[in-house]
Amino acid sequence: MTDARAALRRAGIAFALFPLLALLAPLVAREKPWVSGRAGETILSAPVPFDPDGVDLDRRLAPPGGRHLLGTDELGRDVLARVLHGARLSVAAGLLASALALGLGAALGTLAGWAGGRTDRAVLLLLQIVQALPALVLVIAGAAFLRPSFLVAALLIALTGWTDAARLVRAGTQRLRSEAFVDAARASGASDARLLFVHVLPHALPPALATLPYVLGSAVLTEAGLSFLGLGAPPPAASWGRALAEARNLLPGAWWCVLPPGVALFLLVFSARRLGDAFLGRRGDVQSRLA
Amino acid sequence: MLRFTLRRAASALLTLLGVLALVFGLVTAAPGDAAALAARAGGNRAVSVSPEALAAFRHLYGLDRPVAERFLTWTWRALRLDFGRSLVDGQPVTARIARALPTTFALNLAALFLACLVGVPLGVAAARRPGGRLDRISGFVCDALFSTPTFVLGLLLLLVFSGWLRVTPVFADAETGLSGFVLPVVTLALASLALVARFVRVCVAAALADPAARAGRARGEGPPAEIRRALRRSSAPFAAMGAALVPAVVSGSILVERVFSLPGAGGLLAEAVFARDLPTVLALTLLSAVVVVAASLAADLVTAALDPRTVRADDAPPRGIAP
Repeated sequence: MTDARAALRRAGIAFALFPLLALLAPLVAREKPWVSGRAGETILSAPVPFDPDGVDLDRRLAPPGGRHLLGTDELGRDVLARVLHGARLSVAAGLLASALALGLGAALGTLAGWAGGRTDRAVLLLLQIVQALPALVLVIAGAAFLRPSFLVAALLIALTGWTDAARLVRAGTQRLRSEAFVDAARASGASDARLLFVHVLPHALPPALATLPYVLGSAVLTEAGLSFLGLGAPPPAASWGRALAEARNLLPGAWWCVLPPGVALFLLVFSARRLGDAFLGRRGDVQSRLA
Repeated sequence: MLRFTLRRAASALLTLLGVLALVFGLVTAAPGDAAALAARAGGNRAVSVSPEALAAFRHLYGLDRPVAERFLTWTWRALRLDFGRSLVDGQPVTARIARALPTTFALNLAALFLACLVGVPLGVAAARRPGGRLDRISGFVCDALFSTPTFVLGLLLLLVFSGWLRVTPVFADAETGLSGFVLPVVTLALASLALVARFVRVCVAAALADPAARAGRARGEGPPAEIRRALRRSSAPFAAMGAALVPAVVSGSILVERVFSLPGAGGLLAEAVFARDLPTVLALTLLSAVVVVAASLAADLVTAALDPRTVRADDAPPRGIAP
């Protein structure tokens, strides 16, 4: 038991580093010094003294080392600064999309499980339809006809990611609906809303909530794929997916443009999945979620 | 069995119709005028187009008809594999897709084959000793593969094999022949390998732990016979795994084709999206849904044939892997 709790704490801390990084990025990576003297001279510069959009055409594709720890890209922008700022987009997209997906899934799952009958069948059909489309295809088709933006991407990802949560909540609600304690509450005159929110949902929601890290991980993957295809948040916002798309054309040179955003993406998704494993108290045994 | 088959087929058709309505609704509800864009020759905003020309263009492509009518017409034509002409080059959409499909099919089938070739033995080996060293290592590798975006995997392989070792071409084309296909196939296979290996491991481990396996051991069966029987007992879930693999591989192949600039259906979709080529996007979306639904229908029927209990069971057996 304590072992599992320790694992959960470790996984939680590892994951929490990313939102923290996203929040601190503008402070850590900026050209403006932290402390400057009266004459404008730098007394204490930021750890990464470059703006993510700071184009420097004299220093294009500088390899790692020297002033630019991870080198520069084809416009002479500091790779480390762009990776740090890119965390903001990925983390925000992951959090927003997975929260929306869970909310939508919980709402539809509750509706289907509680109402039953025709409503249930309608929700199940909707679920089938959404699952019939590979997530990326649906998101791309949507992104094609809406102006690419951060919000559109998050919304579309949520629209494809709600199905698992809906299934779990529906099953839970169905099972609880006929439990004795729910009957007892109903017999003592509890309203439908009270039955749902006080007696059923507190038991039906946790299994879906525990999948949040997995949903977040696959939302991050889908967002990155969308950005890689050029359908994510538009430039000049720093984005790991778009950085990788730009780096593709530089291959086989400029490996320092590929590795940092690639590794950052991997670490974010990996830590999210580890957190999910810790929640469920298992070590990557059964889970099988793909982007 | 016949009733089961018919019901499943009807449900699959209903699903496809729903997909059609969903995608068509999404597309028509979206802002932006496809006609204005396409008439400007692929979205060149510097060119101005007269209102008469726009109207003629809309009329030519039927974009001036009511939404419901367009939907019905389009559905009826889609049934006859007629998706109209591309807004990009005026060629029939069906012909453009037919040109791209062989590449995509070859890529996907080769990747699926490779993933199963490696993933099934790996899963079986891991399942023989749950918690053993091999199980832990393969579990970690699969976890890592799950967390790596497909296109990052592709870029890393490109970096290593085309950049540093120089054994494969950076950009594949007709001249590079099959060697240009190796990396895309390996990338896509690695992306689905984790799913196959983990799934086989879970199923076989469960089959090895059940009473039937103990009875076999009591009869004195050796490990080969034991594994063979365990595999057979888990064959019904394997069919479900096949259905779960298909959407993953389709999504993956869009990105892989983009990374390696292969002229497949995924590349066509990306291109059509940028040009707001409505007919092509709709046709490709529908095609991917048909593939997924067909795979899941086939999986359901195979499962039913292997395990008659599913025919009698409730009308919605779980598809894919339950969380």
